Amino acid sequence: MSFLQALAYFFREACVGLVRSWRVSLLAVFTIGVSLFLAGGFLLTSRNLSRAITAWKDEARFVVYLSEKAGAEERSAIEKALSGAPWTRDVRFVSPQEGAARFRSAFPPLAELVDDARYGSLPPTYEARVRQLASSETEAYARWAAALAELPAVETLDDDRAWIEDVETLLAFARAVGSILTAVLLGAAVFTIAAVVRLTSFLYRDEIAIMRLVGATEFFIRGPFYCEGILQGLAGAALAWGALHGMHVALAPQFEGSLVLGVILRDFLTLREAAGLAAIGAAAGLGGALVSLGRERAASESP
Amino acid sequence: MIQFFGVSKRYPTGQVALDEVSFSIGKGDFCFLTGSSGAGKTTLLRLIFREETPSAGQIVVNGRNVAAIPRGKIPFLRRTIGVVFQDFRLIDRKTLFENVAFLPRILGADPARQRRLAYEALRRVGLAHRMSAFPRQLSGGEQQRVAIARALVNEPDILIADEPTGNLDPDLAREIVRLFLDIHRRGTTVLFATHDRELIRRVGHRVLVLARGRLEEDRRLPVGSDEESAIVVDGTE
Repeated sequence: MSFLQALAYFFREACVGLVRSWRVSLLAVFTIGVSLFLAGGFLLTSRNLSRAITAWKDEARFVVYLSEKAGAEERSAIEKALSGAPWTRDVRFVSPQEGAARFRSAFPPLAELVDDARYGSLPPTYEARVRQLASSETEAYARWAAALAELPAVETLDDDRAWIEDVETLLAFARAVGSILTAVLLGAAVFTIAAVVRLTSFLYRDEIAIMRLVGATEFFIRGPFYCEGILQGLAGAALAWGALHGMHVALAPQFEGSLVLGVILRDFLTLREAAGLAAIGAAAGLGGALVSLGRERAASESP
Repeated sequence: MIQFFGVSKRYPTGQVALDEVSFSIGKGDFCFLTGSSGAGKTTLLRLIFREETPSAGQIVVNGRNVAAIPRGKIPFLRRTIGVVFQDFRLIDRKTLFENVAFLPRILGADPARQRRLAYEALRRVGLAHRMSAFPRQLSGGEQQRVAIARALVNEPDILIADEPTGNLDPDLAREIVRLFLDIHRRGTTVLFATHDRELIRRVGHRVLVLARGRLEEDRRLPVGSDEESAIVVDGTE
């Protein structure tokens, strides 16, 4: 029998097996679907957040707020320190008037605050963009920023990188939790599929014994069960993809302007990522079948 | 064709199924294997097609030491041996054609050849007209004939039968024996296990008698030792 003929036979027999024990097959598909839905959700979230973080890092601002008593010479020293650093670009001075104009434009309902004499004027600032740092540069960067903060003319510093790093740490933690949760659920899915395949092989135990007696190879006997596991895994992946897609279509337009959900729901899974989910589903299904048939073989060989 | 050299089989429970059994069955022989229940007939047959392995001794089938065949090669041994059981062991959800064509199919025969071989085998047992029926639609005798067709479809060198008439009434049993004799006449080596001494007496040929796992007797009866056996052997009523 050619390989393609064998595959066609495996597929046909697997479909018969799935129909024969459709209730437990559905349970297996649902279990793996839930696992992959969660895995896909984490993938979507972490990938979109990673992209956003990369974009934020490219646009990260470093702002130096000057004290009121800062003189021209001191300002010049600060400007020189900013311009001379290897990680900064686009260094520019923002006067109190320009700062106030920006505030009015960004927060129209609060515009009167900057004109209220009780609060005083906004401090002059220097702004710079900070490029993404290599890991070898982070220490030098921290020293540079600390030295800058110590200057008497500097009131305070505002570094976007600080909160971006916090978000990154949070994302890494979420990824770890997601990976563990997905692994646990996938383990449960493998276990469920193993139980389903075992049940099917139990239903077919007489046929399997007959097949062995007439000279069928183990590959030929087990092929349909491997195929059954893979089909369950793929069906679970399809279910997960469908649910994720439905959720994305329904929620993405609603949260387009939202800072957090808008970022998380920005792009849906790529074809490659969807294929990856399907591959994980198929691998889990195959794993379940391997576990189950390993036990079946051991049982059939015991005296 | 089939040689046993001091073969013993002991189960882990301590039960001795076979004890120092030696015999030889040549190519084209027809041989009965008999003995009361628990004498070791089924164990002996299972050893031939490597369903079990001997605790001691050697079994040679078609020139190959059966116990030394690697696990992955066992299917290839079994494809040279047709096996028929008392309980038929047909796949209920498959048609007669699918049951019989199973072996050609796994051997890679194209659909047309599968159909031809299955038709030929079913024709030999008189069931070619029921290829699309399911086993449950048949009588016990017909099911046994399908099992024989399945065993014959690959034209095996050896045909082994484990009490193939055990579940059948005398008329059907005679019909099945007639089929085996016909198969034997075409050159197949047949080993037929039965506890029916009357059947053996009627048919004749060689008889191996087992008792409590030991080979008690190995003798040759005259073919068709009474009138009825002659009818059977000749295939005429």
